[in-house]
Amino acid sequence: MSAPIRRRKTSSLIVLGIVALALLTMPFWAGSYNLRLATNVLLWVGLALSWNVVCGYAGYISFGHIAFFGIGAYVTAILMQPGVGWNFFATLPVGAVVAAVIALAVGFPTLRLRGAYFAIATWAMAEGVRELATVASITGGSGGLVLPVKSDDTFFYWCMLAATAGAYLVCFLLLERSRFGYKVKAVRDNEPAARAQGINANLVKNQAFILSAVIPAVLGGINAYWITFINPDSSLNTILTDQLVVMVLVGGLGHIWGPVIGGTVLYLAQQQFVVLFGDSTAYIVLVGALVVLVVLFLPDGLVSLLPGSRRLNLIRRFIRPRATTTTGSS
Amino acid sequence: MDALAIEDVRKSFGGVQALQGITFSVAPQEIVGVIGPNGSGKSTLFNVLTGALKPDSGRVLLNGKDITRWPAYRIARSGLGRTFQIPALFENMTVLENLLTASVEHNWDGVHERASAVIELLELQRVAAEPARSLSGGQQRLLELGRVLMREPDLVLLDEVAAGVHPNLRKLMLDVIRAKREAGTTFLVIEHDMELTGEICDRIIVMDAGEVVAKGTFEEISSDAHVMEAYLGVSVE
Amino acid sequence: MELFASIVGGLLIGGLYVAISLGFSVAFGVLDVVDLAVGMWVVMGAYAAVVVQDWLDVDPLLLLPLYFLFFALVGAVLAPLIYRVRNNRYAMPALMGLALTFGFATIFRGSLLTGFGYTPRTVRTGLANTSWNIFGLVLPAERVAGFLTAAVLTLAFAWFLYFTRSGLAVRAVAQSKENAGLMGVDVKRTSTLIYALYTGLTAMCGAVMGAIYAMTPELGPRYTLFAFFVVVLAGLGSIWGVLVTGLLLGVLQSLVSTFWSADYTLLVVFLSLFVVLLLLPNGIGNRRSVA
Ligand SMILES: Nc1ncnc2c1ncn2[C@@H]1O[C@H](COP(=O)(O)OP(=O)(O)OP(=O)(O)O)[C@@H](O)[C@H]1O
Ligand SMILES: [Mg+2]
Repeated sequence: MSAPIRRRKTSSLIVLGIVALALLTMPFWAGSYNLRLATNVLLWVGLALSWNVVCGYAGYISFGHIAFFGIGAYVTAILMQPGVGWNFFATLPVGAVVAAVIALAVGFPTLRLRGAYFAIATWAMAEGVRELATVASITGGSGGLVLPVKSDDTFFYWCMLAATAGAYLVCFLLLERSRFGYKVKAVRDNEPAARAQGINANLVKNQAFILSAVIPAVLGGINAYWITFINPDSSLNTILTDQLVVMVLVGGLGHIWGPVIGGTVLYLAQQQFVVLFGDSTAYIVLVGALVVLVVLFLPDGLVSLLPGSRRLNLIRRFIRPRATTTTGSS
Repeated sequence: MDALAIEDVRKSFGGVQALQGITFSVAPQEIVGVIGPNGSGKSTLFNVLTGALKPDSGRVLLNGKDITRWPAYRIARSGLGRTFQIPALFENMTVLENLLTASVEHNWDGVHERASAVIELLELQRVAAEPARSLSGGQQRLLELGRVLMREPDLVLLDEVAAGVHPNLRKLMLDVIRAKREAGTTFLVIEHDMELTGEICDRIIVMDAGEVVAKGTFEEISSDAHVMEAYLGVSVE
Repeated sequence: MELFASIVGGLLIGGLYVAISLGFSVAFGVLDVVDLAVGMWVVMGAYAAVVVQDWLDVDPLLLLPLYFLFFALVGAVLAPLIYRVRNNRYAMPALMGLALTFGFATIFRGSLLTGFGYTPRTVRTGLANTSWNIFGLVLPAERVAGFLTAAVLTLAFAWFLYFTRSGLAVRAVAQSKENAGLMGVDVKRTSTLIYALYTGLTAMCGAVMGAIYAMTPELGPRYTLFAFFVVVLAGLGSIWGVLVTGLLLGVLQSLVSTFWSADYTLLVVFLSLFVVLLLLPNGIGNRRSVA
């Protein structure tokens, strides 16, 4: 391993340490507004991360990802209704399992096919789930459900932090530090070639999709308990999927840090926008313009601006030609 | 027992009869060349053997085991490796990662050492950390071969793997193939370059319009004026 | 009789779905990018008609060619950007192309919401509240007019594809970009042409649609989904499939809202999409096996 790489590793470890310290001490120094803001950032980062798994790593676009978030929210809400009265923590795994089963039901027939079929099937699933929640009685119809109130922002901060950080760790280990990651990326890049290496492409794709479905279900459960009231418009709105898409793209598709950066930057920017201009729809125009600009001028997302990323290396090499390009790292 | 046995394999695409009853077998440690004009069905045959396409009828036996209609990944796991005529690399992964991925379903131990060795052997050091999509045409073929070397399969199908590769590296490829054969690997090789074919192949299968039209050693085939003229377009004085 | 009327009503709407999806399908074939803005082109066509009726004293549907010109122009400006993203050495060009059109759609939606708000708007034409008696069936006039418009547009588009030189170039590019390029077809110009035609056509259909159903900017994604539904179920690239599936979608929607409840239309549409994907994974128009 060459020296610059080691230096880069050390510096990113330092950054990671500072972030971890800040996150772990947040409830002790941040005000309640900032704590709620941080909880929301964590939520969106986790959601963006889960979408990045299926799209950035597996190469299949899911337009219905918010359905899993909503499913988790509804499972928790239903199980915590008076008369059912489950413990909050016990509801989360149930939501995850339900989401996994639905992901398998959608993924199994459509992940064999071209990406467009999967995209439409997931979108249809999301709209279908939303319609179902709107007409069914167990979900409270369009009126939604009210959960028992627990006004303890610190509790929900810890829950959200644990869920998102846990999801991060699992995804990082699985996708960047294990053979599974190679399989997923190989299938994404060239399916016939992946098969020719002995990789069971269909299995791998379904595994990745299930992984990406379980995360939003857990986050949805936590969020539902936190906001204490859910309805189809707030928890199953496909517009929310759009936000995820944008966050991942702006952050950096298929990059493990992409969702963190995209989720944080965009959520805070959006909040700031609301603070500055009120709750105006003009911010939608800005979001759209941002997407167009990123696609046209920064296709690898904001992560490509980080020190040590491949794009910057190329630029540096261009500035100082033939500096250290002869040694291959292996 | 034959390393590979093909029995009356047929495949058509709509009206095009790409394979019309192919039968031949390959003995262990043999290097067999498959030649024939463009569109004669060579790549289609490879795709059927590797499970990328399902045959309409016929049987394929790998080491005596019937693998007909198995999914491609299972065939690969039972010891078959291939390269693609149009390089099929993992474009967004680096050269090194491409090699690692080839070992992901078996022999993972010591994978980094073996990948370094392959990179050095194929002279890909300079691009080892570059994404595969930035490789030149010849380097892409080298990487295709590199993946096969990483997998260490019993039977290797090479589809024009030397096309567009520099003569020095081409010679290197031939050396690698010979060395692997000595170590026990069987090869089926599609190649348009007759010289190259003659150099390494023990036996040659000539295909035309989806049929096997001649079999034999390189000498037999090249002395058969009919085959040379009619199927390979080489004029014989 | 109610059944029959419901089917005919559905077919009339289905005609519009066919016209919209046909352009969408061909643009997809040529540009190799799924245009997520398709629903917004529909909605914007309707809002163009709304603007016309607010400002000018004419029947908004008389100015259809104007909408065509305007939106074809907008499409012609945007198409080179899509082409550029699709054909550059991006890591995942198809995905980035999709993201780009998603960005367009978002800008359109935001602009419409900012300009017109969430209140539903309807295109008021002289045909509203009239109905025509055709073969004993009493049909709302604007639906019949919508169907006729769609039929004319579909035929014109098909004529362009199959009987003109540019149409031949379009089909060649849709088959294989490399080969068409080798034969001397200017792929970039062809892409721009087809995208402009498709945006103009879709906006016209949108204006007509706006006379039948109330529009809000939020409906964009729904029409995108419908177009997507039709094209995917038709089997990508199959024109006959689009014809059949588009009409079926209209009929299905109409039957459910007549005999059950309009609340359930979407649910039934999505469920049926699902079932078809399970049973006919290559769509209605293609019967080849999965490659
Ligand atoms: N996926 C496919 N769909 C339809 N037709 C195909 C397909 N693959 C191959 N064919 C047809 O089958 C025939 C044999 O093609 P194949 O690729 O096997 O030829 P080949 O011998 O490898 O030729 P070359 O030397 O040019 O590589 C050709 O007519 C080709 O058009
Ligand atoms: Mg070939």
